Amino acid sequence: MNQTAVIALDRVGVSYRKGPVWSRATFEAVRSVSFAIAPGETLGLVGESGSGKTTLGRVCLGLQKPSRGTVRFEGGPLGRRRGLRGRLSVVLQHPEWALNPRLRCGLSVAEPLTILGTASAAERRARVATLLGQVGLAPDLADRYPGELSGGQRQRMAIARALVTEPRFVVFDEAVSALDVSVQAQVLNLVLDLQRQHGFAALFISHDMAATRYVSHRIAVMKAGELVELSAAERFYGEPEHPYSRQLLGSLE
Amino acid sequence: MSEPLLVSRGLSLSYPASGGRAFALDGVDLTLAAGERLALVGESGSGKTTFGLATGRLLPPQARREAGELQVAGVSVFAADDAAIRELRRRRLGYVFQNPMTALDPTLRIGRQVAYAAGGASPAAVEDLLAKADLEDPARVARSFPHELSGGMAQRVVIAMAIARRPALLVADEPTASLDASIRARVMTTLVELQRTMGAGLLLLSHDLRLVARHAERVAVMYGGRIVELGATDDVMTRPAHPYTRALLRAAAGQERPGERLSPIPGVPPVLRGPSTGCAFAPRCAYRQASCVAQRPAADEFAGRIVVCPYADRLDRLASAGEGAE
Amino acid sequence: MLRRLAGLDAASRFAVALLVLFVLLGLFGPWLPLGDPARIAAGPRLSPPSWAFPLGTDELGRSFLPRLVQGIRATFLVATLAVLVTAVLGTLLGMLAGYLRGVVDEAIARFADVLFAFPALLLGLLVAAVLGPGSLSAIAVVSAATLPLFMRVIRSVSLSLTGRGFVVAAEVSGASVGRILFVHLLPNVLGAGIVQLTYALSIGMIIESGLSFLGLGVQPPEASLGSLLRQGSVYLTIAPWLVLSAGVTLSLAILSVNLVGDALRDALEPLKGRSLR
Repeated sequence: MNQTAVIALDRVGVSYRKGPVWSRATFEAVRSVSFAIAPGETLGLVGESGSGKTTLGRVCLGLQKPSRGTVRFEGGPLGRRRGLRGRLSVVLQHPEWALNPRLRCGLSVAEPLTILGTASAAERRARVATLLGQVGLAPDLADRYPGELSGGQRQRMAIARALVTEPRFVVFDEAVSALDVSVQAQVLNLVLDLQRQHGFAALFISHDMAATRYVSHRIAVMKAGELVELSAAERFYGEPEHPYSRQLLGSLE
Repeated sequence: MSEPLLVSRGLSLSYPASGGRAFALDGVDLTLAAGERLALVGESGSGKTTFGLATGRLLPPQARREAGELQVAGVSVFAADDAAIRELRRRRLGYVFQNPMTALDPTLRIGRQVAYAAGGASPAAVEDLLAKADLEDPARVARSFPHELSGGMAQRVVIAMAIARRPALLVADEPTASLDASIRARVMTTLVELQRTMGAGLLLLSHDLRLVARHAERVAVMYGGRIVELGATDDVMTRPAHPYTRALLRAAAGQERPGERLSPIPGVPPVLRGPSTGCAFAPRCAYRQASCVAQRPAADEFAGRIVVCPYADRLDRLASAGEGAE
Repeated sequence: MLRRLAGLDAASRFAVALLVLFVLLGLFGPWLPLGDPARIAAGPRLSPPSWAFPLGTDELGRSFLPRLVQGIRATFLVATLAVLVTAVLGTLLGMLAGYLRGVVDEAIARFADVLFAFPALLLGLLVAAVLGPGSLSAIAVVSAATLPLFMRVIRSVSLSLTGRGFVVAAEVSGASVGRILFVHLLPNVLGAGIVQLTYALSIGMIIESGLSFLGLGVQPPEASLGSLLRQGSVYLTIAPWLVLSAGVTLSLAILSVNLVGDALRDALEPLKGRSLR
């Protein structure tokens, strides 16, 4: 299984300094976490703030070096940025900052392709149009500025951008947390459908258990930097193993 | 029976928009009793933030009251002169907005800001207020600047400032949305406890249905600048009567069975150019009838609450009879 | 653009008009039929304003009006060129400091601290000692004096932009530092930058005038508002119109630039200073 995994973490640990100004201390954000995500699989990463899930997300994207342990991406180390271009992407929390306010949306969505440098301008435009259709946005929105779009539309643009280079791995970091309830449902369904279509591996980070169990195949529960449970998502519709997981679930009733 | 703390009758408010005006509020009818916790639930564009600002006449100069009136703590908000409004804001109202960092002055120490909010309080009284807001080490917090505090601590300071003069009405607009999920519950509990002990009313504006369900006694659901359903929280959340409330609860993740697909509400919220001539939700409503677009629905009493939908009593029959589709 | 002008209040409109007047005078002054600024003994020395000499004559009998226009030109030119240098250097350094943080940020911050530590006029003396007095020294001094504050503003805006979604997404996609700086940071930093540049311009004019008043800036026979003030101040009691006209002109110039800066700030950063009804 480990050989075909898109991303595999082995005993990863991250520590840094944190806290209010008058009492900084060394803080272990992540302690010895291991998991692997296969192609076409979504791993949900759930936990409260301070659980280390955001830090883990940054480690998986190569934005944070682990203090201990290894991260392997498609069998190789997650080191060289240039070699990874186009193979992984991210969708973040705040729709109002998801896109550069000074660039037309189409250019923002095409950017990963532009950086990759393998497609001509016409090919990029065509690809952007294809993707906008897949995320349910009218093609003429490519010429608008982000300020003219709603939060839900901007988040969909961000998803289109995340898929424009057919990445093998996408990280969704609190991607639906700032959206209205009905728009959340639309975007969650979109994530499900797009994964079925494109087959990427995904890490879905959230504090919202309800949204996470809806989109994930398996769920990893984080508490204070530790992985306390890693089970199939179905378990979280009933009774999960760990008492902390049950506690998180309990807030849904 | 004491006078209601807040009375809104047919309040309509507009903002300038390209090609005329956009109506943020389209006839809001609402009452809040003293000491009551009422939640105003709505998504972006529903008008709830506008209503929250209207309670203290805190709207930008471009906003225009188109119709109706609003009484808060006995003061007619739009008719009062500047001195009366300032007095209302100072002594009878307390606000908690979403982002504590923009609510606090970054150049002043916390102690000074709280003292100012309390109308000139002694350091001991300031520390007392901060302790009431559940802040550990109030002396240290009082000496700090806002940027030295965490989000949760800053919001507690904002709460302390809001209750400093024992207001009659607290207005909280998404008070925990910017905070880490792990501390939301505790900050909310602090706010509610203080509201309860002071006997103040609380108008809670939120799009978080679970938060509302846990803390509000009554819920008003807003759509298109109107209240479409108003009743006891438990009633509205478990047995929603209005089609929008039903659709909203159905779209929310958490209640579905494994493998069941969520059904988002098709379409987008309306931008009103004037008072709506029909039902604002009709274009997106699963139970839509011919008269819905033509006739502006009136508020009716149904199943112990107020609903603005003439078909509220027979929605299920409409659905099963196969009517009310596209 | 004209629509925006109509929306400004009276003070801002006056300021814009005044600034446009100054710029036009500065650009086209030498070709206007105002008289010859260099012609010595064109009229009696220190004569009061008259039809022939609208602002009188100076101690060498030169018509003062064209010299004043020359002064406006020189002051604006020095201040503008210096501010341009500040803009380019300050934007680059500010963005690097705000985006790269760490060691780079520390180094740039220390550099700014060194510049901040010198009062502008003291710096003027030092630079004049090295480069010799003149326009070039004045430009260097004004630039050095306005650089630290400008850099700080750009740095702070860059810091807040660095954590935003679109920047992180670009990093994950493998964007180079250059791309992030110039495609993502720069366009979003311009708003705050332009506002700061207008304030830097007014500070620059004050510093330039101070330097010229001390004889360290623009050298005779060239004139700047500061050197005209200096020459005129000698004859304050017998020919007050010289100092008055130079002083009033300088004040109006600085005032107009500041007011335009305020108007730009309201236009570009509209959420600041919103008033309630």
